[in-house]
Amino acid sequence: MSEGTSTETTKIAGWLEGVVLKRIADDQLVLPSIPGVVARSLEIVRKADFNFKDVAQVMEMDPVLTARALRLATSAAFGAGSTKLNLTEALTRIGAKSVKTLLIEGAAQKLFISKNPQIAGASRRTWEHSIVVAGMARDIAALAGSQSGEAAYLGGLLHDVGKPLVASMLLEAERQVVGVRNQKWIDTPVWVEVIARIHRKVGVALAEKWQLPDEVCRCIRDCSEYDNSDRSSIVNAVCLANALAKQNGFAVGPIDADDVGALVMIGRSLLGLGPEMLAKLCADLKERVNGLFE
Amino acid sequence: MRVLTVDDSRAVRSIVRKQITEMGFEAIEAEDGQQGLEKLKEGEIDLVLLDVTMPVMDGPAMLAKMREGGSKIPVIMLTSESKRSIVANAMRLGISDYILKPFKPEELRTKMLKVLDGDELAPAGDGAAAAAAQEAAPAPGTRQFIDVMLVDDMENVSRKLRALLPPHMTMHSFISAQPALNAAKEKMYRVVMIDADLADVQSSVLGHQLRMLQPHVAVLALPLRSTNDVARELKAEGFDGVFFKPFTQDDMDDFLQRYFDSQDILTAEDNVLRAGPFHGKDERMGHYFEKLHELYAAALVKVASACYDEVILDLSQAPARQEKMPKAVMQFAAEAGSAGLDLRLVVNAETKKILAAFTETRDLPLFASMQEARAGKAA
Repeated sequence: MSEGTSTETTKIAGWLEGVVLKRIADDQLVLPSIPGVVARSLEIVRKADFNFKDVAQVMEMDPVLTARALRLATSAAFGAGSTKLNLTEALTRIGAKSVKTLLIEGAAQKLFISKNPQIAGASRRTWEHSIVVAGMARDIAALAGSQSGEAAYLGGLLHDVGKPLVASMLLEAERQVVGVRNQKWIDTPVWVEVIARIHRKVGVALAEKWQLPDEVCRCIRDCSEYDNSDRSSIVNAVCLANALAKQNGFAVGPIDADDVGALVMIGRSLLGLGPEMLAKLCADLKERVNGLFE
Repeated sequence: MRVLTVDDSRAVRSIVRKQITEMGFEAIEAEDGQQGLEKLKEGEIDLVLLDVTMPVMDGPAMLAKMREGGSKIPVIMLTSESKRSIVANAMRLGISDYILKPFKPEELRTKMLKVLDGDELAPAGDGAAAAAAQEAAPAPGTRQFIDVMLVDDMENVSRKLRALLPPHMTMHSFISAQPALNAAKEKMYRVVMIDADLADVQSSVLGHQLRMLQPHVAVLALPLRSTNDVARELKAEGFDGVFFKPFTQDDMDDFLQRYFDSQDILTAEDNVLRAGPFHGKDERMGHYFEKLHELYAAALVKVASACYDEVILDLSQAPARQEKMPKAVMQFAAEAGSAGLDLRLVVNAETKKILAAFTETRDLPLFASMQEARAGKAA
């Protein structure tokens, strides 16, 4: 990255971080959802005899929608209390009427698609990465003998929740700059670097403000290192899934192959997974995200 | 095959040495990186197992010196360090694999064999064996563990043995030597059983060839029962033991206890040790407790070397026998104390009642569940 690009990145990252953190603090965040996920979820809830498990299975493809459902379920309006619950439990707690409202709101806040095909691709991969990590974290937890597969899925889905959030803010800014003022927008490397710099802080702020389940908060905060005091923890499953996803091409921006390789090597030993198990985990990853943006 | 272990913990070196020698390899030891480099200069080393944090010279510094000096000897990091930056730097210096302490023996064995797979598997100095092993080396990571290989030219033997083995155990059977040798190039076997009177080849020669391909394997002969001391004769020919025909359930129980039961009798995860249930006839109960004690003593060393303050021993599945349990528990408590560990016992109601009846065991910290034991207080 050139000096000029680096300065531009620092400037945008500083500005955006301030804006996003303030919106989180003021509860004024407008979060977009994946249109296909919202549409399919709405189809299910329109049926008279729908069950929450079916809705959860579709909704859990969208990290933002999932985070919003969890937030609502642990809010004072629904009895607060337990911060340990999965998405089906969360939907059951808030009830059919609130689930429908949540989805209608989601339908109104569609994800903006960038005019720049590279940025559009990077944006799509941001969401895909979370879904791939979520699925693998659930499988890793199962292979490691943990009973917390669903919690691992949520941890994986939301571990990078700051990324789609920052990405959506950047896309919104692009819509204003290019669409309304007809000015030039930033290049893809700057776009990617801005997200890399601030997403963690934004994700942690969101998790704290929304009081997301404790284990999810830990995944957002600590998933870049393993916790070898508790080998079967959800954070460890997410950390390994994150590295494997990157190793298999589900990443945004450049990756340090040795760094990712080290995480895979440590994770294999920590969780006791052989090479055959890893190969199974990484098979058909593309199928997990097929049709997501259709 | 010579394997150098560089670790400042004597306990860890001792555990690793045992594993290496059980695999048929030679174990060399060094307690820091400086000593490790000296050992490398002294003689041919085929693999280095390297700790990270050590006095005088740490593992990464030794690895860097090795690579600077042009050494391409494979290195497996064996450490309690899980920081990715440290492991990533070691990867840049070309480590072959990584094992996090505390580790399971199976993991060490599998990873060592995987790294050594491209090299000779037979003891050095035996040209024919080395050539056979070279030919045998499969693609890395493709080997799979099978419990039993049977070589017997009568098919009914295979059916009888399969019927006696527990269903979860895997078995490959062959009616002649060549397919068995081919299979030994592809898979890893725990025990090989060979008919003492094979038609196509001398049984002891086949046993020797199979052992060259798989140095860790136990090779048993299958002779007919006889008034002669056939077991002694076959051991003199190089077999590790015998399993007499026709097979009996008693012999099978002995065989399973000797070669397969160890892991079921006591499993260890971090500082939690779990005694497995006892299966079999009452007269074998003594053997169960002896084995449990032996495995417990080895596991304690690992728990202590991983710097835990306490060890949790779950006896809830162990047989609650008045004549065995109190004595065993007294030994467990004494040995934990000697290792500087607090012992917390998880027991079922029956065992609790038995232990309460003895002055020596009634005051031991007993817990009804693992959760209580972890918290250190009874519910």
